[in-house]
Amino acid sequence: MSHQKSATGADADVPASAATTSSTSSRASWFTIPAPLARVFRRFPLVTYPANELPVRSPTHRHLPALYVFASDEDALRGWPSFNPSCLKWQTFLKLAGVQVRIVPSNNHASPTGALPFLIPPSAASDADSQLPVPSNKLERYALQHGPNQVPDVAGTKMDAYQSLLDHRIRNAWLYALYLSPPNSQLLSQLYVAPVSSSKPVQTAVLYQLRRAAEAEILQSVGARVVDSAALYNGAEQAFDALATALGSEAWFFGSSEPGLFDATVFAYTHLVLDETLAWVDTRMKAALQKFPTLVDHRARVLARCWPEMAAGSV
Amino acid sequence: MAGNVSSGGGDAFDGLLRRETASVDQKLAAGEEQALAQTRNMDLLSHNGTLPVTVSSVQVHGARNTRKSFLNPLFEPLVEGSRNTTYTLAEMLDEIGAAVGKLQKFDIFHDQIHVHLSQPSQVDPSTSPTDLDVALRVREKSRVFLKTGTDLGNTEGSAYGTMLLRNLFGGAESLALNASTGTRTRSAYSAEFATPVLSNPDLRLSFEGLASSTHKPWASHEEAVKGGGVKLNWTSPAGDRYQVGYTGAWRQLTGLGERASPTVRGDAGDSVKSALSYSFSRDRRDNPMLPQSGYLIKTATELAGWGSLGGDVAFSKSEMELGGAVPVPVPGVQGNSGISIGGGLRAGMLYPLPLGYGLSGAKPSRINDRFALGGPTDVRGFSLGGLGPRDGRDALGGDVFAAGSVNMLFPLPRVGPDSPFRIQLFASGGRSVALRSRVKGKETPAGQGLDAGTVWDGMVSATKDLSTGLPSIAVGLGLVYAHPVARFEVNFSLPLVVRREEEKLKGLSVGVGINFL
Repeated sequence: MSHQKSATGADADVPASAATTSSTSSRASWFTIPAPLARVFRRFPLVTYPANELPVRSPTHRHLPALYVFASDEDALRGWPSFNPSCLKWQTFLKLAGVQVRIVPSNNHASPTGALPFLIPPSAASDADSQLPVPSNKLERYALQHGPNQVPDVAGTKMDAYQSLLDHRIRNAWLYALYLSPPNSQLLSQLYVAPVSSSKPVQTAVLYQLRRAAEAEILQSVGARVVDSAALYNGAEQAFDALATALGSEAWFFGSSEPGLFDATVFAYTHLVLDETLAWVDTRMKAALQKFPTLVDHRARVLARCWPEMAAGSV
Repeated sequence: MAGNVSSGGGDAFDGLLRRETASVDQKLAAGEEQALAQTRNMDLLSHNGTLPVTVSSVQVHGARNTRKSFLNPLFEPLVEGSRNTTYTLAEMLDEIGAAVGKLQKFDIFHDQIHVHLSQPSQVDPSTSPTDLDVALRVREKSRVFLKTGTDLGNTEGSAYGTMLLRNLFGGAESLALNASTGTRTRSAYSAEFATPVLSNPDLRLSFEGLASSTHKPWASHEEAVKGGGVKLNWTSPAGDRYQVGYTGAWRQLTGLGERASPTVRGDAGDSVKSALSYSFSRDRRDNPMLPQSGYLIKTATELAGWGSLGGDVAFSKSEMELGGAVPVPVPGVQGNSGISIGGGLRAGMLYPLPLGYGLSGAKPSRINDRFALGGPTDVRGFSLGGLGPRDGRDALGGDVFAAGSVNMLFPLPRVGPDSPFRIQLFASGGRSVALRSRVKGKETPAGQGLDAGTVWDGMVSATKDLSTGLPSIAVGLGLVYAHPVARFEVNFSLPLVVRREEEKLKGLSVGVGINFL
């Protein structure tokens, strides 16, 4: 899943105490303090002041759940859609479920799983347990538990089949279009490279890593030895065709009365492919999608529902 | 023999010189005979110190891999001085001593350097009666040096392997390749190329590259650093060290713990630091691991990201440390009582600056640039990074800090003042405060810049905050063992004053380190 450089050595098997040279916990095990002395010790510290205030970069608004996604600072502040399909899927789904979140621009290093998005529930600095993140694979349950809206739950083999279209054909074409297609390299740099660092050598290294990771993922998915762009775009077109057929003339997928998780998943790609604010130069994927007006309309419906202010402006 | 000297004639000295060879032996050689010979030489030389001499040649034997152009400047003063008609034997010997001292500092020759003086053959018509030939016999150290071992640093133990290539290009250049892994440092690789400047062993230029990954459990993350830099080190004759340098480093905050706080998550990812640095240290303590007398002054300043330095972080960061100890004489005890009172003070400030030329405002500090305070080597009685602002379980560090400690050392009864063991009574305290600037109730993105006025007001209020209320203080009693490699302490401590959330240690704790406050 990670198509940003994944967190290096993100092993979570870090024993919190193994490396500390100071420890008081062992005291109890080899001798116990006599009760009167313990009573005296308990009076220490003699003075306790209020906690220190947090630094400027610490988030203050913690009463709202925070969704960590790839986004620019300005878009995050306005709560606008993320430019990353996986992030946008969950951002959209949370909106559909009616969960109010604060969007935090972030990167994969911040994530407990090594990939965005993830969510931190309403928390307090004084309570470490409240800050336990919700990884993306538990976001559906979180949204259903915490959102006021009823979201149709379409599970089963039918959805899985269409899901795999998105996960492979459309995702591969997306990876090619954004990461490998030379005309779009400007867009890639703007979205994923420039925010990492302003340093040119670091940007070069990151760009190289991103491209390598995207290429490896495509090759593994299609089982080929070289990347064939025409085949990838064809695959995407066939997948769009299948999705358009599945949608038919309904407003939402699988005949639901309300949009659900699958609508969010489709929207995450269709919106970004059609988004006018993204400076696509190689527009072959967009052309493939525009052959299916029902999908274009579906995207507009989801946008109007989740971001009415944007829908009024752009489409 | 000394009787002969009074005549003062050149001939008398000639005779002596032929029989005696002046051997300046820098290592304290054992053996009475050698010591006797040395005193005899000293006598001889001191009585003939005012003899006029000229140097006809300087030869260095045994420096097979060392460039002549590198050695020449060392002996220049010797030859230059000899042009002067008032040049005496004593002056010449001083010059030779200085040159030998420099040769030893390069770490390319074995310490034993022999100096031979002789008169050139009188048959050669170009020589004058006052001419002397100077010959040095050196032995080069091996050019490749391999070492593996274990090391103790401040609250960290590590295992390392080092390969040192000496005298790489015949000018005392060295290349050190180092790999280590430790309790805190997951892995560290570094390469350092160092060379003396203008054949001066006290002036060294070094280039360094490093890649490391360090585990920071007090803030639930791991920091991977890849970087490089260039440094110029100068050691004054009195032993003060100065260093100016430039460092560029790509830092990556990654491998976050499951319970990492939003602040640490917000700082996760990449940042590049491009910084100029200056540091000074004067260490006049009798024993750095167990100071009983003397003092220490250290200052360090860093300027990052400002102007055309580039990078992603911009700040000026200054830090200073003062330390000292005085022995306490005990009436009735002759000499060193082993009792001493010591104290130390550390303070630092990180001042955010605008990146580049200041159009976007100053960026607030990140966790990897702020000061961590607390732990056995600075404020005892608190856990590592235990002082200052905390988010959840994470120590976030402060932008301004001050810490001090007072301790009294007593020798153990029956073991005496010469042993490396002491009983210690201590009180230590400190404050670590983060810059605040936020307009309450207004949401600002983490990366947004602060204007100069806001930063200034924030820093002033943070500095004032250092002295609001008492600092966080702990007192205690412990046992100190000063091993030459590191100092070990077992302390029993009780916190007196703390801030809520600060991580205090009540009871026994162990500390290992090399630089204690």
